[in-house]
Amino acid sequence: MSAGLTRRELLRLACIGSAAAAVAPVETATAAVHSEKPQAAPGAVGMLYDATVCTGCKACMAACNQVNELPADSAGSGGLYHAPLDLNSKTKNIIKLYQAPNAGKWSFVKRQCMHCLDPACVSGCPFEALSKDPEKGVVRWDGSRCIGCRYCEIACPFQIPKFEWDKWNPRIVKCEFCITQRLEKGEQPGCTGACPTGAVIFGKRDALLAEAKRRIAASPGKYFENRVYGEKDAGGTQVFYLAAVPFKDLGLPELGTDSIPYYATKVNAKLYKWLSGPLVLYGILALAVNRNWKHHRHEQEQHEAKGGLPEQL
Amino acid sequence: MSNPWQRLVPVYNKETHSRSFWIFGAITVLGFVLAGLRMVSPLGRYSGMNDAYAWGVWKIFNVMTLTAIGSGSLAVGLAAWVFGNEKLHIAMRTALVTSFLFYFTGMMALIVDVGRPWNFWQIILPWRWNGHSALLEVAVCMPAYAFLFLLFENVPLVLERFSYTGSDRVKGAIKRFDPVMKKVYPFVVAGAYLLPLMHQSSLGGLMLLSGPKVHPLWQSQVLPLLYVLAACICGFAFVNWTLLFTCYRYRRPISIEVVSEIGSLMSWVTFAWLVIRISDILIRGQVHAVLAFDRYSFLFLTETLLMAIPAILLRFKSKRETPRTLVTCSALAGLGGLLYRFTPTAFAFTPAKSYSYFPTLPEVLMTIGFISFGILTWRIAVRYFAILPGTNEEWHENNWEPLFVSLRSRFHKKPQGAPTWQE
Ligand code: SF4
Ligand code: SF4
Ligand code: SF4
Repeated sequence: MSAGLTRRELLRLACIGSAAAAVAPVETATAAVHSEKPQAAPGAVGMLYDATVCTGCKACMAACNQVNELPADSAGSGGLYHAPLDLNSKTKNIIKLYQAPNAGKWSFVKRQCMHCLDPACVSGCPFEALSKDPEKGVVRWDGSRCIGCRYCEIACPFQIPKFEWDKWNPRIVKCEFCITQRLEKGEQPGCTGACPTGAVIFGKRDALLAEAKRRIAASPGKYFENRVYGEKDAGGTQVFYLAAVPFKDLGLPELGTDSIPYYATKVNAKLYKWLSGPLVLYGILALAVNRNWKHHRHEQEQHEAKGGLPEQL
Repeated sequence: MSNPWQRLVPVYNKETHSRSFWIFGAITVLGFVLAGLRMVSPLGRYSGMNDAYAWGVWKIFNVMTLTAIGSGSLAVGLAAWVFGNEKLHIAMRTALVTSFLFYFTGMMALIVDVGRPWNFWQIILPWRWNGHSALLEVAVCMPAYAFLFLLFENVPLVLERFSYTGSDRVKGAIKRFDPVMKKVYPFVVAGAYLLPLMHQSSLGGLMLLSGPKVHPLWQSQVLPLLYVLAACICGFAFVNWTLLFTCYRYRRPISIEVVSEIGSLMSWVTFAWLVIRISDILIRGQVHAVLAFDRYSFLFLTETLLMAIPAILLRFKSKRETPRTLVTCSALAGLGGLLYRFTPTAFAFTPAKSYSYFPTLPEVLMTIGFISFGILTWRIAVRYFAILPGTNEEWHENNWEPLFVSLRSRFHKKPQGAPTWQE
């Protein structure tokens, strides 16, 4: 075909090419590319939870439900008081107790969204219902865009987003850092404000990281691996953990230091850059099909001319 | 050896509405009623899904797995139209119709599965798309492929039918439309291979974002490539199996030339798949996981054997030319491909210890209902349209049965025997 490529054919090719472009995802110039080691925004807020300080009073859980106007989940208390079994569509924040099988070691752990620097949930969400606030770095959910596909639940390495399985118009429920209720009013989140021991504190991400490192330096050997969980894990998060027991035992997985969206998109980002991959592939396919099409039609016409039945595409 | 497949011929004068027809019909109706009920009630009540296993059989089986065997039009089409394998054109309509049915039911399952389907309308607003999301690619490409490209590819089949049975006005319109269609056909067809190549690989790409939740034997950068190759294997396998099975059922002679060619191509693709699969395991240093002899290594071995056995067998000409072996080999390779595509989303997907998932009865019934809808439609389609290959002797130009007349006659207890369209 290349030799006999008329202008009309070229035009047609271009039309169909752009139609294909329209149905393919657009790697726009503006879309941020995932990097292996994402950077925090300068104004990124954060939370530092020190498991060695936490007394397990669960004041933060009550405060979270209050501020977020969530109903009590009394599944774990026989209907008496708020005692959810895990994070769920009524619980954005939970205190869990870890006890080592025989060593007598124990630790509390607070679980809520980690507000990852490069969140897997945001990267997977097809219509950007989940998005990372560019200024504070809070990961938020927008109900007018969510289709309820639950890919965020499949993707999140921390098992954070929860789905309202019992609602006809289900929402995705997760900690949004009390952004509308508190942060935007210049106040601190419900959980950190309620904590009587200072086990969980609120602040700017970089300030909290410095504080965590100061605590480690002040008592070497006290904290597991002398490490701040969240500084680099999965590319870094905006919630930090200090603990005396292995983080894995607290349900905080060892994810390596690369961003997961980077791992998931690094090949495709190249293939789909400016849609070059699909367009080139389409061009090759169209050339090949066109050549074989002409050949096929020619044979069919000869067959028909010889008195055969009409062709069947 | 003359080729008995000279032409695509409808299945004449065969009882379509046998007992099994009504059984499949009943299952289909049940599945659709349940799907309708699900649309007006919460998801939790209809499924065993939970926050850890947030995707159930509708997504991981109907959408992510079954569309692999709905990739016949991709696999056979690539061979016939892109690589110029003239022999395979006769299998195209079988591929196109079955593919459409799998994609159509897959799309239905997707709608039933999502919690807020009314927000799907945003699909027409490209500025709301997340270009990084493999799921977006699937959500845009799959319906576009099924309802634009696959439907278009199936148009000639319908036009042909009406050019035999339609009124003169219809025939005139078809005559005028035909050249237009033939002009755009190759360019649309090229798109019809681009799109599934993209979304079938993105289906594998979906699981990349789950990172460590997917067992290391499956979690790999080559998932997208292996998914698309597995789709081609399943596509070849299913088209071959369907051709052999349906021809056997309607007592049509079989063209060994064509089915053995499909079998041979399938075996080459399977070899390619095996080479990539095994090199990937070696490069990522996961041999110890293969030899662990736990459920994962067992799954891996099953899936690899299901692929390898037919691939090797079909390299022997004598095996390839025995219909019985071909049926078995197609079934094995198809199952292997399906298992490979199912495992990363199901058995090898381990998000949290304290959760588990098993599909509930309504979930299973809907899945089966969608499948029997496909079987039912296929049976009707081969009767009213020229899809199945046959000999020229079977061809009766004047004997196309009018659509729905035979169904009606069944209820009105009209005279026996197939009414003709001149009636
Ligand atoms: S913890 Fe999960 S839900 Fe929260 S930002 Fe990270 S990926 Fe998203
Ligand atoms: S369920 Fe909603 S928020 Fe989660 S990925 Fe799907 S569209 Fe995005
Ligand atoms: S920041 Fe707000 S929503 Fe998040 S855990 Fe604390 S109180 Fe709950």
